[in-house]
Amino acid sequence: MRVVRLVALGTLLHVKQFSRSQFEIATALIIPLVQATLAVYLFRAGTEPHRMLEAAIGAGMMAVWSSVLFGSGGAIQTQRWQGTLEMLMLSPRPPALLIFPITLATAVTGTYAMVATLLWGGLVYRIPLDIAHPLAFAVAVPAAILGLGMFGLLLASTFVLVPNANAVNNALEYPVWLVSGMLVPVTVLPGWTGPIGAALPTTWAARAVRESVTGAGPVWPSLGTCLAISAVCLVAGAAVMSYVERRARANATLALA
Amino acid sequence: MRLLTVGGVIAYRALFNWATPSMFVGTLLVAPLFQLLFFAYLGRQLGVADDTFYIVGNAVLSATLACVFGGTIAIANERRWGTLGHVLLSPRSRTLIFLGRALPYAGNGLLIAVFTLTVGSLLLGLRIPASAVPGLAVTFAVGSLSCACFGLTLGALGLRFRDVWLISNVSLALMLLLTGVNVPAEHLPEWMRVVGGWLPITHAASAARLLVAGEGFGAALPSLWREALVGLVYAVVAAVLLTLFEAESRRRASLDTL
Repeated sequence: MRVVRLVALGTLLHVKQFSRSQFEIATALIIPLVQATLAVYLFRAGTEPHRMLEAAIGAGMMAVWSSVLFGSGGAIQTQRWQGTLEMLMLSPRPPALLIFPITLATAVTGTYAMVATLLWGGLVYRIPLDIAHPLAFAVAVPAAILGLGMFGLLLASTFVLVPNANAVNNALEYPVWLVSGMLVPVTVLPGWTGPIGAALPTTWAARAVRESVTGAGPVWPSLGTCLAISAVCLVAGAAVMSYVERRARANATLALA
Repeated sequence: MRLLTVGGVIAYRALFNWATPSMFVGTLLVAPLFQLLFFAYLGRQLGVADDTFYIVGNAVLSATLACVFGGTIAIANERRWGTLGHVLLSPRSRTLIFLGRALPYAGNGLLIAVFTLTVGSLLLGLRIPASAVPGLAVTFAVGSLSCACFGLTLGALGLRFRDVWLISNVSLALMLLLTGVNVPAEHLPEWMRVVGGWLPITHAASAARLLVAGEGFGAALPSLWREALVGLVYAVVAAVLLTLFEAESRRRASLDTL
């Protein structure tokens, strides 16, 4: 219970902190709207104008991934720049428990984008919010956010080991959008991308949310797979985080590594 | 001329913090290539346009990342790192100093566009007529230069507004939508087409598509002139804004206020 409280309070704190940044808010709100508009015009121009709601949802999920990728990937670096990394590591709790709320907060921030995208689609393009399974949708979105937050911990802990992690961050946005089928169905991609997509929680998260909207498939198996893969990522991320912390303490490179 | 070229290269080496090999490859080569693949597969699946449309358009667009952020960095990073005052103390023309900075970024953009077109064509099987190659090189160069001037304009805004990166990020996202690179212009509303017509890349992408279609350099020339005009307009706007904001920041003693 104390762990849940720590994660919940930590997440709230970091969401509040992100909410103070004009850059974070404006980026989370404006860019997804541009992407959603692009998706709307592409779907209208193409042969599938009836899939507009899917386009809006897909654009929202893309924004959640961008938020997790850039926010979680640079979570440790950001703490270092702020001068708060040492304080976090001095805490008696395991480091993973202190960084996880940050990565979860990046995913929660991404939900601004999801909501904004749906509102934009409804108000500007008159896309009706005809959700096939509203209850499943209401569960799938927060569960997908939680899953991506857990995946974020693995990103945060591994990217700290990679020199120039920003380069990896910048290069990973489109590939994950692509292989996860957020806007492009995975069936049109080359076969070898299938196993990569299947191993990513983003694929199952996008699939669960899409299935809850369209009613095209059972939501729960996709959501369960998303959370199972995310839990593995969380455990792996926690192990890597402990290793990184020990190494940084031993080498006295916490603020410099 | 020395101020324009040598000064530009020195500033590029000093200010462009993506110049390390891993950052350059990850951010400027790999990311635009995946952007091309993403839109090519999406366009293919939706039946919006063929692969050629997306490969050529996104190759031209790939220059924007280096040019728009580069142009912004060329001015905004001077302020961020506290060296803007030294530049403005120089007795030489600030307009020349800053315009010279656009050149290395335009060169970067050209390199990235050529890389993206080459690899994108190899991956998706596009055959480009050999006769189109010189024209494409000119088109990429004009598009990149125009885009770098646009970046300088955004960078100039960095002398006035604190969060210039937000403006650059949003501009880059808008270019995906408005330049007609990913959504054919005829499917966009009139006002978006008008705005897109005043953005860099729009006309360069049209010229490149004509060249790849085998229409010849003559057919692409009007679009190229329009692209050059757009670039010139942004160069003039950047110069005017820099002069205005410099005078204002001296008057209000707000040069290095972050």
